[in-house]
Amino acid sequence: MIELITTAESASQAESLLQAGIDILYIGEDEFGLRLPTSFSREQLKELTCLAHEHGKQVRVAVNAIMHNDRIATVVPYLQFLQDIGVDSITVGDPGVLHVMKKNNITLPFIYDAQTLVTSANQINFWAKRGAAGAVLAREITYPELVEMAPQLIVPAEVLVYGATCIHQSKRPLVENYFNFVDSSEASSKERGLFISEPKNKETHYSIYEDRNGTHVFATNDINLLAELNKLHDIGLKQWKLDGIFTRGEDFVSIAKLFVQAKLALESGNWSNSIEEKLSHQLINFHPNERGLDKGFYAKDPSEIQ
Amino acid sequence: MRTITQKPEVLAPAGTLEKLKIAITYGADAVYIGGNAYGLRNRAGNFTYDEMREGVEFANQHHAKVYVAANMVTHEGDAEGAGDFFRTLRDIGIHAVIVSDPALIEICAMEAPGLPIHLSTQASATNYETLNFWKDEGLERVVLAREVSMDEIKEMRQKTDVEIEAFIHGAMCISYSGRCVLSNHMSNRDANRGGCSQSCRWKYGLFDMDIPEERNSLLGGDPEEAFSMSAVDMSMIRYIPDLVENGIDSLKIEGRMKSIHYVSTVSSVYRQAIDAYCADPDNYEFKQEWEDELWKVAQRELASGFYYGMPTENEQLFGKKRKIPAYTFIGQVLDYDAETQMATIQQRNNFGIGDEIEFYGPDYTHVNQTIDALWDEDGNPIERAPHALMQVKMKVAYPVKPMDMMRKRK
Repeated sequence: MIELITTAESASQAESLLQAGIDILYIGEDEFGLRLPTSFSREQLKELTCLAHEHGKQVRVAVNAIMHNDRIATVVPYLQFLQDIGVDSITVGDPGVLHVMKKNNITLPFIYDAQTLVTSANQINFWAKRGAAGAVLAREITYPELVEMAPQLIVPAEVLVYGATCIHQSKRPLVENYFNFVDSSEASSKERGLFISEPKNKETHYSIYEDRNGTHVFATNDINLLAELNKLHDIGLKQWKLDGIFTRGEDFVSIAKLFVQAKLALESGNWSNSIEEKLSHQLINFHPNERGLDKGFYAKDPSEIQ
Repeated sequence: MRTITQKPEVLAPAGTLEKLKIAITYGADAVYIGGNAYGLRNRAGNFTYDEMREGVEFANQHHAKVYVAANMVTHEGDAEGAGDFFRTLRDIGIHAVIVSDPALIEICAMEAPGLPIHLSTQASATNYETLNFWKDEGLERVVLAREVSMDEIKEMRQKTDVEIEAFIHGAMCISYSGRCVLSNHMSNRDANRGGCSQSCRWKYGLFDMDIPEERNSLLGGDPEEAFSMSAVDMSMIRYIPDLVENGIDSLKIEGRMKSIHYVSTVSSVYRQAIDAYCADPDNYEFKQEWEDELWKVAQRELASGFYYGMPTENEQLFGKKRKIPAYTFIGQVLDYDAETQMATIQQRNNFGIGDEIEFYGPDYTHVNQTIDALWDEDGNPIERAPHALMQVKMKVAYPVKPMDMMRKRK
């Protein structure tokens, strides 16, 4: 079964996404989760969980931050809270979280998500043997590698099919440090909408911002694998994430609707080139104008990468 | 008088067999090297099995250890043959492997039982429960992320008994190690498979886009002062007491690509400082000359990373490269005749008559002199030694020994 997993930036957007037919809401708070469109309060997390359940859908909460000593202590009551409100699953990237879950008998299903470090079936199976119900694949994996990987997996693996790709996380406030260096009082938050460009590739536009988890840099183009969904479906990779961190409001809902249509077409055996072309054409209209789209590493030849 | 008998290990990088021997001779308790596969330094000299055998034999004779870094993050197919690799390492007598990829950890544990595993800094271990997790998995040691503070290490030491290794000197990733794929995306070179193109140190534009396609630059006025993500290097020489008292088991020096000049100097300085502290911790005094010595091989400015707070703009490199005092490695002593005071030197960089030079040796010996006469191998007087690896003779009033090094200020 295909599952569409989407971020949500507000209760109303979550409601629209659920009505549109997505399967899992992916939400959380910045203290423990990475690069979310909105950091929700516990009260809001509880409300969103109820909302999803009313629609017969699931909630997955991001607990995938790199935790230092302070957070590995405070994450325990947070995990207990998530369990109490009936969250369906969490993402985890720090093995210390697995350790405290075991120690405290917290049985929330978890999806292993260490971002750039999840690149092979054997790694994922290692975490599956330690209880992971699934894993989030790194974005630096090519299609031929996915073909090789998929049949070896003992738990499902999630693929980013739409949205931004984080390619760098520093604990340092890299933008703030620079602004201090040049005596500027500019802000460095996500809302400020900053980009960096490569010296030899000046038209590039890598999003960059800071939050309590450090500085985050994103690939110059966002991912769009709409045209490849049939191939992913064929090899059995059917957990698809849509990340709306830079695609806000109704636009993101509209894009999610296109993926719901694609899902229904694939599940009913009605997928065709013309459907794909129609959906892809519509998608461009909802994607932010200042951001590019491509297929990322999916479209690269493994031998291109040294 | 209080003394400390359980000294932390000084762990030095060794890109080649020669560097391995030099590092150990200059005071390292252990070295880490790369094999021909599964490592993160494609371009560092990597060891064949025969070289590893010779390295292990040398290390054992000097009561030192050899670790092999196999810290690549594997993609499909990359781990093929890893079982054989780890078994061979174990049978050669390698003392531990440094791994971050759980698939490789599993292969190593299953196929080469008895070979200790250290978790690489690539896995970004930043809290005590992560250390406990890996301890329960059977790992002997965890190399901490460079982002932890000294207070965090202190707490980790109290809450886990797995061995702790921490970086004390050298270049730093500006990201959490392993969590940066700038190089993959910008250069098609996989940072986590040994291809890192160090894109972080490039000079970037910085801008916003109110209207798509219309960019407003936010760079400072000076065109030299581009946005960059380049960290200065780390040096913890001023903080030896904290490193020892907080129970860190192994103190790691970065740099498998670095020269024998670098490896010998840095190993020797930390050896001196740690021995001095452990011999008499209550009367220990930091010596400025240690830091001065480290500056002689420094490639960037030095700072203490995250150990004592969040690094600011002062711990990053922006704008024009700032000049640091640097020395050139020019020769290695092969022989010394005490009667005639003649030293035989193998040339490593151009030098000649009139140059002010410094010899330094494994026991932290230093001697300065000016070259006033030089002879070639056949005893003919020469002005300069211009050829790589040529052997020359010169008079040195102070007794030097084979494996002493010779350098001059740039």
